[in-house]
Amino acid sequence: MTYIEKPVVPKVVKLEEPTATEREVLNMMLNTGSDIYQGACKKRGSTCKDEYRKVCGVAYMDPKDMARLGVSNWDTVKVTTDWGEVIVSAVHSRDAPHEGTIFIPKGPWANVITSHETYCCCDPTYKGIYCTVETSDEEVLLMADLMRAVYKKYVVDEETIPELESLGEMPVYKKK
Amino acid sequence: MAYEPPVTDYDEIVENGTCAFCGCNCDDLDFLVKDGHVVGVRHACRLGASKVMEDMDQRLLVPMIRDENGELQEVDWDTALDKAAELIANAVRPIFYGWSETSIETMKHGIRLGELVGAVLDNQATICHGPSLQAVQNVGYPVATLGEIKNRADMIVYTGSNPMNSHPRHLSRYSTFPRGWFRQRGRFDRTLVTMDPKYSDTAKMSDIWIGFEQNGDYGFYNAIRAALRGKEIDQDFVSGIPKEDIMELAEAMKNVQFGALYFGLGLTHTLSKQRNIDMAIEMLADLNKYTKWVLTPMRGHFNVNGFNIFMAYEMGFPYGVDFCRGYPRYMNGETNTIDLLTRKECDVFMVIAADPGAHYPGGAVKHLAEIPVIQVDIHWGPSTEIADVVLPGSFIGVECAGTSYRMDGVPIHMKKAVDKPETCRDDEWIIRELHERVQKIKAEEAAVASK
Repeated sequence: MTYIEKPVVPKVVKLEEPTATEREVLNMMLNTGSDIYQGACKKRGSTCKDEYRKVCGVAYMDPKDMARLGVSNWDTVKVTTDWGEVIVSAVHSRDAPHEGTIFIPKGPWANVITSHETYCCCDPTYKGIYCTVETSDEEVLLMADLMRAVYKKYVVDEETIPELESLGEMPVYKKK
Repeated sequence: MAYEPPVTDYDEIVENGTCAFCGCNCDDLDFLVKDGHVVGVRHACRLGASKVMEDMDQRLLVPMIRDENGELQEVDWDTALDKAAELIANAVRPIFYGWSETSIETMKHGIRLGELVGAVLDNQATICHGPSLQAVQNVGYPVATLGEIKNRADMIVYTGSNPMNSHPRHLSRYSTFPRGWFRQRGRFDRTLVTMDPKYSDTAKMSDIWIGFEQNGDYGFYNAIRAALRGKEIDQDFVSGIPKEDIMELAEAMKNVQFGALYFGLGLTHTLSKQRNIDMAIEMLADLNKYTKWVLTPMRGHFNVNGFNIFMAYEMGFPYGVDFCRGYPRYMNGETNTIDLLTRKECDVFMVIAADPGAHYPGGAVKHLAEIPVIQVDIHWGPSTEIADVVLPGSFIGVECAGTSYRMDGVPIHMKKAVDKPETCRDDEWIIRELHERVQKIKAEEAAVASK
């Protein structure tokens, strides 16, 4: 099956964890990298679609960390690093347990917050970045909206960005 | 997971197609073609099949230029190519980035164009396996083809790599499952080891999983090296792994007949970068005192290795080759795309078959938002959102033939299966055409200057 609406993630169950006290903000380690859902969606070319947001705009978290933060599958969280902040959905990781670590598949969402430091080794530091995770009530942006909101290349007045109409899930260009 | 019935409605089968996704370059795909479109793919993995059966909604079909309102507008090929050639000809510090998802034949014209305008030619290695190439320059490379490993290896180690997610057929076609000449029972004759802080999908199916801690690769390989050299390990735990387990693993690795180590971006993207791989290769050098061990980087794109081999052959350097002084230069931290972009040096950026919008860190994309970007690609992606000129190319391995290099350096001819959409052009044609147009502009400038 090549087409999916969103990744299949296990359902988070309420954990009886005596040490898990609820927290506002979690201090975590961020890893980014490829994932089979991300790869399939990206190379098919469906980057404007909701599917891409569902496979890349997600943070795979340990269920215990999710319990601490009080979020369930597909709730949005704000992830902040020294390089930026981004809104993504929190989902239960299929590679758990990995408490203290989150994984965001590589893509425009992850790269808002990854480090461009190469330390003269040509390669940016995409893995092992300190971040904080907190709950958020904002929505995860679609790819085109995210690129516009973050990089603002063709935006005339930056203050109007939140009010602008969504660019949607299809390419927008003027036909001849 | 829903059941999908097999595709039975097709006109013809094109056999022995090559997959244009990852560095495995599986060359046994069968394309099911109906009305000039691929409607089904046999033998491919989820990734390969999804790439071949592309999303036509987002296929780039017409050349486009941004108008003064910042909207992309369809134009004819002449206008788009002239605009791109003008940008390139007038650039002071252009970068031509990408090339890993196109053919060697296209790169040939890319080098000519790069030399003409003094550009930096770089490919995806700069954000993935660049440190691996640096490590190879530092300490060497015990090389083997995937076929040798298939026939001989009785221990397979994946470190910092998750092939079940990024190279799904690697285990079944080349390393772990297939029966080889000396490994008649396939999977049962081999030990599969995964070294990864994450309990990844590959780790789940391995015989041994070593979950060392984050950024612990360097310390862990050093501990194995110490064990191999008969040294006592002082600490009880190294990188979160008990001393006894390290001794046991070192002993097991010493006692195989033929071992193969595959490493991925888990090593190159963490803090120690190329030093991790230096250490992994040196560990193999130590192991080779006892038995035979080889190593192969898990290359991501089907032709990312091709660019490195082609560039090293033609220009002496694998990637990040700078022609601004009229001769090729290569200097890590100086002539690499991410460094050039974060220092805001680049003034025109051309991307060929790559997606920096999606895969560059934000700090580098921020500079792309300030300069003209020319995109040659097949799909509308994050890079199109920041592109000023868009030139629709064709799909190598499906719509256009070409040469590519597998992750182990074996060249493979990728044949054509169907015709490309009428309004698209081959990448090779686009770059050759740009070269000719830039040449013309340069000749005119020279003529004016001499008067």
